[in-house]
This record gives sequence, C-alpha cells and structure tokens, in this order.
Amino acid sequence: MWREFLNREIPQLYGMFMRRWPNPSLAEELVQKTIFDAVRGCDSYEPTKGSPEEWIFGIARNNIRLEMRKRASRPSVDGDISSYVETIDSEPLPDEVLEQKETAAFVKAALAGLASKEQNVLRAKYIEDLSARDIGRRLGITEKAVHSLLYRARISLRRELERMAPADKKG
Amino acid sequence: MKPKEDNLEKNISRLVKLAGDADKPSGAFVDSVREDALDELKTSGAGAKREKREKSAKSKWVKIFAYAASILIVCGLVIELTMPSLQRVRERMGKARLSAKIANLESYVSSKPVTVVAGPSDKSSLPKSGRSISNFNGNHAASDRVIVRADSSDTSPPPPAKPEARFVGTPRSTRKPIALKEAKKGYEVALGTRKSGEAGSLIRYRKPERGPRGYPMAHGGTTPPNGEDVDAMFFKNYGVNPFVDTEDDHLSTFATDVDTGSYTVVRRYLHDGHLPPEKAVRVEEFVNYFNYRYAAPQEDTFTVYAEAAPWRFGTGRKNSYLLRLGLKGKQVSEESRKPAILTFVIDVSGSMKRENRLGLVKRSLRMLVEKLRGEDRIGIAVYGSRGRKEMDHRGLYEKAEILAVIESLQASGSTYAEEGIRIGYEMAENAYRRGHINRVILCSDGVANVGRTGADDILEIIKKKAEKGITLSVIGFGMGNYNDVLLERLGDKGNGHYIYIDTIAEARRVFEDNLTGTLQVIGRDVKIQVDFNPDVVRSYRLIGYENRDVPDEKFRDDKYDGGEIGAGHSVTALYELKLWPDKEGTVATTYVRYKHADTRAVTEFKSRIAVGDFDKNFDGSSSEFKLAATVAEFAEILRKSYWAKGATLDRVLERAQQLSREFEDDADVIELVDLISKTEKLMKKTAVEPDEAGESEDEFLRP
Repeated sequence: MWREFLNREIPQLYGMFMRRWPNPSLAEELVQKTIFDAVRGCDSYEPTKGSPEEWIFGIARNNIRLEMRKRASRPSVDGDISSYVETIDSEPLPDEVLEQKETAAFVKAALAGLASKEQNVLRAKYIEDLSARDIGRRLGITEKAVHSLLYRARISLRRELERMAPADKKG
Repeated sequence: MKPKEDNLEKNISRLVKLAGDADKPSGAFVDSVREDALDELKTSGAGAKREKREKSAKSKWVKIFAYAASILIVCGLVIELTMPSLQRVRERMGKARLSAKIANLESYVSSKPVTVVAGPSDKSSLPKSGRSISNFNGNHAASDRVIVRADSSDTSPPPPAKPEARFVGTPRSTRKPIALKEAKKGYEVALGTRKSGEAGSLIRYRKPERGPRGYPMAHGGTTPPNGEDVDAMFFKNYGVNPFVDTEDDHLSTFATDVDTGSYTVVRRYLHDGHLPPEKAVRVEEFVNYFNYRYAAPQEDTFTVYAEAAPWRFGTGRKNSYLLRLGLKGKQVSEESRKPAILTFVIDVSGSMKRENRLGLVKRSLRMLVEKLRGEDRIGIAVYGSRGRKEMDHRGLYEKAEILAVIESLQASGSTYAEEGIRIGYEMAENAYRRGHINRVILCSDGVANVGRTGADDILEIIKKKAEKGITLSVIGFGMGNYNDVLLERLGDKGNGHYIYIDTIAEARRVFEDNLTGTLQVIGRDVKIQVDFNPDVVRSYRLIGYENRDVPDEKFRDDKYDGGEIGAGHSVTALYELKLWPDKEGTVATTYVRYKHADTRAVTEFKSRIAVGDFDKNFDGSSSEFKLAATVAEFAEILRKSYWAKGATLDRVLERAQQLSREFEDDADVIELVDLISKTEKLMKKTAVEPDEAGESEDEFLRP
C-alpha cells in the first residue's frame, strides 16, 4: 500500500516543487525531506481529516514554507551563472542562480561542447541517477573506469563553462 | 574525497540535472526514495511504536499521580496561607467584575476623566448610538449607559503583590490545555521548585482540579494592572463591533492601527498546539499582517484604496457586502531615512530566561545593529530587580562595542519595569536631537511585578514624552506569562507601535526587511472617518478595531490621539455592509485626517465609493481582496465572533489554499494555510472534549 502511494506521490511532489523553484536538485532534496517527514510522522495522520494525499501535500507545503524562510534569510543573489563559474569548485552555487532560465541553456550548450562519451556518462550519472556499476555495465567498462571517466568529464565541463563564461558576459 | 572536489561534484551534479527533463524525477530517484522510505517504515515499525506508546502512557500516569498529589498538598498550603486574603479577594471579585466591565468599555486609558457611553459599539457620546445588541460573550455584557471615569483611582486598586503571587499558583483555571500549561508555569514561579513536564500529562489532572473559570494563571507573580478583570489579565476582551444602522449613526470613526502583534502571538499559540484565547485575537492586526500590494503614492503622503464585493460570511447572513479600505503611506528609501537615536530598554529579569527570550532579544538586536547606519545612535538601559543604565548613547561607528554590550546581558532577578522605563526615557531625553528619529524601544515579556505595577503610571510617563517627540516601540517576546494588554497599550500611548516577535524570522521581517517603515513615522494621529450614505447603506459593521474607536465628533479634534503610520506601511479596514435594494449612488465617503510627522501640519482628504464601483461577485474581486476577506474570516472564527456563526474553517482553508497559489512568492500566505489547517485540527480535537464554553464565571462566586 505504501509502495503504491509513494510511487504515485513522489512524481507529484516533485512536480509541485519544480513549479515553485525550477531546480531539480532542490526538488529532489525537498521530495526526500517530505517523504521522510511523512514516514516518520505517519502516526499523526488521521483519516478523518482528509485523504493521505492532502496530508502529504500539507507536509510538502510546510517544507516550502521552511525553504522560503531559509531563502529570506540569505542575501539576495545578483548576477548570472557566468559570474559564479570561477568559484564553482570552492563554493556551492546559490539555488537562485540555478533557477534562472539562462542557466539551463548555458549548461546545455556547455554539455554539447563535450566529447560524447563524457556527455553520456554525466547524463547517466546525474540525470538518470544510475549507479557507477549500472553505467559501467551499459558502457562495457569497469566501475573504476566509470569513476575516472566521470572525474574527467566533470573537469571538462567546468573548463567548458569557464570558456563560455567570458563570451557570455560580453554578449 | 577532498572538500574541493566535493563542491565541484555537487555543483556539476546540480547543473547537469538542469539539462534533464524538467517535470519528472528520474526513475532511479523515485526508486531510491521509495525504498529508503519503506526501510524506514520497517525499522521504526508499528510494533516498536506501540510499545513505546504503552510505555509512555504508563509513565504518564505516574506523573499525573505525582502532580495530583503535589497539587493537593500545595492547594492545602496555599489556602491555609491565603485564607484571609482569599476572603478579601472574593469580596473584591464582585467589585473587580464590575470594574472589569467598565474597563472593557474604555478604548484608551486616559488621564483625564472622560465620559463614555457604553454599548458594544462604543460609539461614544452619540445619544442615538449603538443599538444595544448584547454581546454573545459573557464577560462583556454591558449594554446600558454608564458614566465612566477612566481614572484609575476609581477602579479597585491592585491587590498586594505577595499573597496574589501565591494565589496565582493554584491551578484553578479551566481554560483548556493552554491554561494548564501556563498554570504550571505560574506554579513553577510561585514555588520555585517544580520541574517542567509534558503539557500532555498535565491535561489529565484538570478534571479533579476543575474549578470555576477565572484565575490568572500565567503571570508568575505579577499583580494585575489596575482595574482589569483578573481573568482578562493578559489579553483583554474589547468585544466585537455590532451592526449599526445608518439611520442611527452614519459615521464610523477609528484610529488607524498598524500593529501585527496579535497575529504573531496567535501563531505562537497554534505552533505550540493550542487554540489561542479569543481575546488574543484582534482582527485588524491579523488583516494588517499581510501585504496587499497597494501601490505607494508618489507625491501625497497617503492614498486610499477601496474595493467592495458581495460576501457571505458563514451561513447566517445573505446579501451582505464586504468593503475593504486600504490606506497606504509613501515609501521612504533606506538612504533618505532620518538618522535614528534609539534607546533600548531591555527586560533582563528572571522571566526573560525562559524559552531563551533574552537570547531572541539579543539576536534581534544584533540584526538591527547590523542594519543601522553610522550616524544612528544607540543607548541601552536594562531592568531586573532594579533599573540601570547599561550603555550611554554611542554612534554606530562603534558597532563592535555595542555588540559586545548586547552580548553581555544576563537575565536574573525580578522585574522593575517602571524604573527601567524611566531611566530609558531620561537617557532618550538627554540624547534627544531635533530632526532625528527619537525612539525608545522596549523589549520585554510584559511582566512588571515590582513597583507600582499598574500600567497607568508607566503610561503617564510615556504619554508626556510622546508629546515631546520621543516615541515608543514595544516589542513583545515570550509566551506563558506574556502580557499582551500592557504592551499593546504602552505602544498605543507612546505614539509608536507594538510588535510581537516569536521567531528570528519575525525579527527579520521587522528589523531587516522593513526597518525604515519600523522607524520612520510619516503620519501622526491618523484617523479615518467613513460617512455612509443612509439612502444606500442600511447598516454596517466595522470588523475589528474595537479598541481603536474614536468618538465621531473627535475626528477633527487634533488633540485626540490617533494611530501612527510608518513609511510604506499600510492599514486595511474591513466593513460588512447591508444595502437597501436597488439603489445607486455614493455608498460612502472616506475622510482621512493626519498630522505631518515633522511639521505637524494637519491634512484631511476624502475619497468616495459608489455602488457602481462594486465588484459583481466575490469571485470577480481581486486576489488581495479575497485574501483580506479570508484572513478576517479566520480571525472572526478564532475569536468566536457572534457574526462568524455558521462560518466553517473548511471553507476558509479551501479559499486560503487557492490563494496560496496566487500569492506564490508570499511566504506569509503559505503560512496562513498552515495555521488554518492547524486550527481546524485543534478545533476538532477540542470539540470532542467536554465543552467548557458554557461554564459561567459566576460559578466562582458561588459559595
């Protein structure tokens, strides 16, 4: 019963978070948090007060509220992705930057500039969320090779972003 | 992995995800979250939980027994000790009740004797005023004409502090879990020994102890402010405005109020899992908490916005309309704000230790200090058992020193608010500069238990200084023995305002996001008079503003106190209207009168609203209008307003949910949804318990 419920609700919640902040990694984080809040607090659910869907959406809304509070306390972000490329390996990117429309286009363009092997491994790892073992199986290489391929791919992508950044600034 | 690599990996991961399909999570993600969740369910499985519950139930009973036993002993002791004073108190109760009724009628405490015509509408001094609709609320039953001297000496003097403090400890209240929780706190203070337990376990012992309604539970050794109903100590019931026939009185006059304290206090109650007492709910403060996105005027100091639409409140009334009036003040930019001279008066008494209130004060002040500019100046006075000067005024150039002083504050001792406030005002007077914002900021939980504790003495000082241009902001912290009445009145008298800070996020709202509005006043003694056209409007009801009523003929009396409005602040007032059928023309004319903050020049302007301006139906009204209606309905239900009969929270919740989608970026609206649903749950829960609402306070007086 829980299994079906979760299979149905996870994509729903994900969509709800994405609509508010178009940022997949944040949406995943919030989905995770919501599901765990729900599981841990499942005793508090009372059928007389609404369907399980309403209940879990209530928890989700609460998490949205918390996130908004958190954001309100942060200094506001100025500038686009190109001004953050330099600090990409030292500091986490602000969520707000990730949510700018231009950022997705920028990343897509940078990805397109990579060797296809590198592109594939990045997509498999981060978009499809596959494990190194599954990626290795798919590409016919060892798990260890997947790790080093990923390492190189990340460096390449960073370099590609850096290369594009000044051009982007001028444009 | 090295941290550096860690950050890169994380960032790359987040970036690459952006290139994926936007609306769907990856299959692998769904699988992993689901499996983890199922694992979690298994490990903390139902079996384990049940066991836990039984265990805690057992220990709960042990606790209950222990509590019950200790209470019996203490009760015995207290009765033994207070027998003589109990006798006195009982006698006084009769008097106190009468004076409490009288107190209910005061809109303000004034030093001069004033004549007040009683009646729920409090349309003072108009012979034809306020139809005597008797209030649903038991302790606001006055309906006849009463001549009241609002002089404190006429009401009964406060009982002596000591026996009172002991008496407070007896758990006599029946006001639901809140009271019990507070009872426990009062108890702790009185005895100084009890360790706090769970509120849940205390709820049980209510029954054997169940006494008549009505003893102050929560104030941990405070004497009641003069003349207040002992039951109405912390929150005062100002009644609910009735419908008024325009034939009787077509003018509605009130002072503006930008306070929002009531909303944050109630939020705190709800988050703690309790329904708030009805008198903690001031509808106008709920309504004014929200941002209705009125455009700020460019040239004028204020603009008025009006919108009206058909409205059904609950099931009781049909054909009523809701009129929303919004008054918006002009914005002042951060840079052009006048330099501020702030004198903090900080309560460092023992009660501030609780719930880390002082910690919250410190964090709030740090935030404020960070936000102030170099030419602003800060001085600090504190009070515990005695008041004292903590730091002379210093420019913000010495930020580090100021922060160090704030950091060093320690809570202990009793509460001598009067002395602290007096010292603070002296400091403010010495540091006074023309053309600056001169403001005393009182940070307290409102407990004032040493010295002459009646609010009136303090009010007197504050009022005098306000005339000289030193205004007062009152910031409330803490719960339990928190004194809302005192703080709100202080803020009103000091031409400042009253804010309640429950969380650091609220502090941020006040000090960071809107510091200029908090500090710089643009209009003083702002009053609004709405003149309804009796040909079109049959009757009207002002929703909220019960304690802000101004006699109609005092509207143009510029000595009569009104409300103060800060830069960019807005005030929203709601009226429920009944119209005569099929009429056209002017519905109402709104007059706004205020003094310019610096020049004190009086300005009055008017605006008109006609039937033609009304929205055809509620759905066709603006989102902001709907938001105001929803908030008001929520507040009316919370305070169990007579006019909210038949209104259900489901409907309010549903509407709030719709609105939260329209106000996507407004965390306040999202939070409102949360609070409404919390309230709904709590109301259902309390409905199951035996109803105590019908219990009369008279029971206490029976032999």
